[in-house]
Amino acid sequence: MDRRIRFVIAALLLAGAVAYLMYTGVRQTAVYYLTIDEFLSKRDGLVNEGVRIAGRVEPGSVRKRMTPAGEELNFRLADFKTDGAANDAVAVQFIGVTPDMFKAQGGSDVIVEGKYHDGTLYAQSLLTSCPSKYEADVARK
Amino acid sequence: MVDVGSLALAIAEVLALYAVAMSLAGAYWRKADFVASAEHAALAVWGLAVIATAALLHALVAHDFNIEYVAHYSSTTLPTQYIIAGLWGGQAGSLLFWLLILTSMSAIVHLQNRHRNREFMPYVTAALMAIALFFISMLNFVTPPFQRLAFTPAEGQDLNPLLQNYWMTIHPPALYVGFVGCSIPFAFAMAALVTGKLGDAWIRTTRRWTLLAWFFLSMGNLFGAQWAYLVLGWGGYWAWDPVENAAFMPWLTCTALLHSVMIQEKKNMLKVWNMVLVILTFELTIFGTFLTRSGVISSVHSFTQSGLGPFFMSFLVGTSVVAVGLLLWRLPKLRSENELDSMLSRESAFLLNNLVLVGIAFAVFWGTVFPVISEAVRGVKITVGPPFFNRVNAPLGLILLFLTGVGPVIAWRRASVHNLQKSFLLPVSLGLLGGAILFAAGIRHYYALLSLSLCIFVLATIVMEFFRGTRARQAMLGENPVTALLRLISKNRRRYGGYLIHVGVVMMILAITGTSAFKEEKQITVKPGDTFPMGRYTLRYEGVHPHETPHIAYLTAALTVLDNGRQVEVLRPEKRFYKRPEQPTTEVAIRSTLGGDLYVVLGSYDDASKMATIQAYVNPLVSFLWWGGIVLALGTAVTIWPARVPARAPVYADAGPRGRVLAE
Repeated sequence: MDRRIRFVIAALLLAGAVAYLMYTGVRQTAVYYLTIDEFLSKRDGLVNEGVRIAGRVEPGSVRKRMTPAGEELNFRLADFKTDGAANDAVAVQFIGVTPDMFKAQGGSDVIVEGKYHDGTLYAQSLLTSCPSKYEADVARK
Repeated sequence: MVDVGSLALAIAEVLALYAVAMSLAGAYWRKADFVASAEHAALAVWGLAVIATAALLHALVAHDFNIEYVAHYSSTTLPTQYIIAGLWGGQAGSLLFWLLILTSMSAIVHLQNRHRNREFMPYVTAALMAIALFFISMLNFVTPPFQRLAFTPAEGQDLNPLLQNYWMTIHPPALYVGFVGCSIPFAFAMAALVTGKLGDAWIRTTRRWTLLAWFFLSMGNLFGAQWAYLVLGWGGYWAWDPVENAAFMPWLTCTALLHSVMIQEKKNMLKVWNMVLVILTFELTIFGTFLTRSGVISSVHSFTQSGLGPFFMSFLVGTSVVAVGLLLWRLPKLRSENELDSMLSRESAFLLNNLVLVGIAFAVFWGTVFPVISEAVRGVKITVGPPFFNRVNAPLGLILLFLTGVGPVIAWRRASVHNLQKSFLLPVSLGLLGGAILFAAGIRHYYALLSLSLCIFVLATIVMEFFRGTRARQAMLGENPVTALLRLISKNRRRYGGYLIHVGVVMMILAITGTSAFKEEKQITVKPGDTFPMGRYTLRYEGVHPHETPHIAYLTAALTVLDNGRQVEVLRPEKRFYKRPEQPTTEVAIRSTLGGDLYVVLGSYDDASKMATIQAYVNPLVSFLWWGGIVLALGTAVTIWPARVPARAPVYADAGPRGRVLAE
């Protein structure tokens, strides 16, 4: 019987270790995942927090500039729903390799991850999410 | 042809339902002819799936753009191999393809078991056909592959350029075979639960199926990694994206299962645990499909917010309820007669390995669904990224690596000091020595040091096993070393095939260690003639050359690679602009050596200034990932190959711990 208890203890220790690793892992790597309208309404409380925001690039807002560190991309991130001029948006700056699916004229759905301060979101990563990648809307005329 | 396809699916719906009902009725009222009729229906469903698939393939190849699916995923300019790949390039087609694999496997199972496992078969038929019925219903009512458009477009929208890649054509089929293969052990497990024949008959029958499913899951994941590495252009092969995790989780539980069934076969233990693993693995394959199809979790390459989510969720819940219900009902009968004797035994090493594998699967699951959970509990979506997964899984992976060395050679029941010394003194010493040498060489990355030492330790245990076995044969039978080695393997396929698989896994871990601990990356903007150092190389940017074909426009950069001032290669990363659908893609260029890859990407190019941004990576040891995969495949082939002689090994050929325990 005491053998069985020893095994239970060993299993519990392992489970505890997994739980501990997961707990600290979440603590140290979690970022808020927000849609752009959630972010815009809460942005003052999110200064210098890690955030990951899904939004749409405001058409006509994209500026590219070559710098020694790479291509600097400035654009405004707006609501998914507003395809035209958005009433509110946040400025995003990203230096790095622009993803292939990022449209220079704007309108791409993107996920940016980074930190927000001084009125600009400094993105470390820029991903183009494309919900329609595999199932594009076919023109049903 | 198209109408034949839809008709086939409609008939398949009826026949699958018939097969489920008749097999259950036949089992209940003990009517052999009912069961036989159900089995014939199952074979017919396979035939119908073949017809439906052929119809869709025909429509694709014949460019019948009136079919929505064909208009979506192919075009007249698309090369033929990608037209065929279009079969699984989209949702409806991939479900049809899934159905084809499932029913084909079911047909094989039925043919194999015409005279065997008769008491299981009605329930196996019912389980497999119930799963098939779900997929057929999806195809008939939710995403019909033969949907017609109101008009016929002159040209199709073409397959997504990212999918126009060799590895992407074979990645989904491999993964599907792996996913679907997990249904077979599940069906037999359900049959064992219903019939109450809970011995190892169902395990022996499904052992090869499980191994086959596991093999295809491994290959599917690896092909996906290869595709990501070559196509996505971010310098890595694994990003802990939900879609990747979806395929990784069943692999983990399936790996656990492959190990724990050995304990049931040899010691008649862990019966409940094996059932749990079979159910878990199957449900994770369905969950994986749900994850990729439902859009519940946002992923960079999430497929679509399609209407399939709720159906998959219901199927997941329904099958879980049935399976867990049966398990609970049979729980008293599943209690094992044997107990673990000692912590230092092969049984407990296997058990621990199982716990770690399931622990990893749980951590991956948790990290994947964390946004959903945190939103439900705290009202905010919080995501965890790759650092979470690496942090949690690196230590667990190292424990697992250690157990890979311990498990196969430690004695059953209770290891004596003598056994431990004989099996582990040399490997442990070699591992420590290797670690010390690497430390002296200046490596201070402690995870990497530990991982590399463990790799040496595991390899040493395996080499010793081969060496001892071969020498025993030489001594006993006077065979020459080569014959002795080959016979040793061929007479103990499962065991030595397993060792080969472990060698493959160790090679992959080498690659994972190299790329995660010693990866270098650099992003630099250069003008023609500029040079910059990268790893042990110097790169010189020569300029960009544009050219064009009817299908694609190219920008090709030339980068001369200099090794100690000597030109060794010119790398040509590309930006491609596909014309339909209009989309740019990145084509990476790689100089691959066994020691590591130099990986370069053309980030962006400014025509006015001729300046280009280059993203360069050095990925040490990464090629071991692919070579490890090949070794793993070889090992699987050795293990799975039907033995001509009965697999029972003569005692003298077995110099392993089992033989020694007998001798002691």
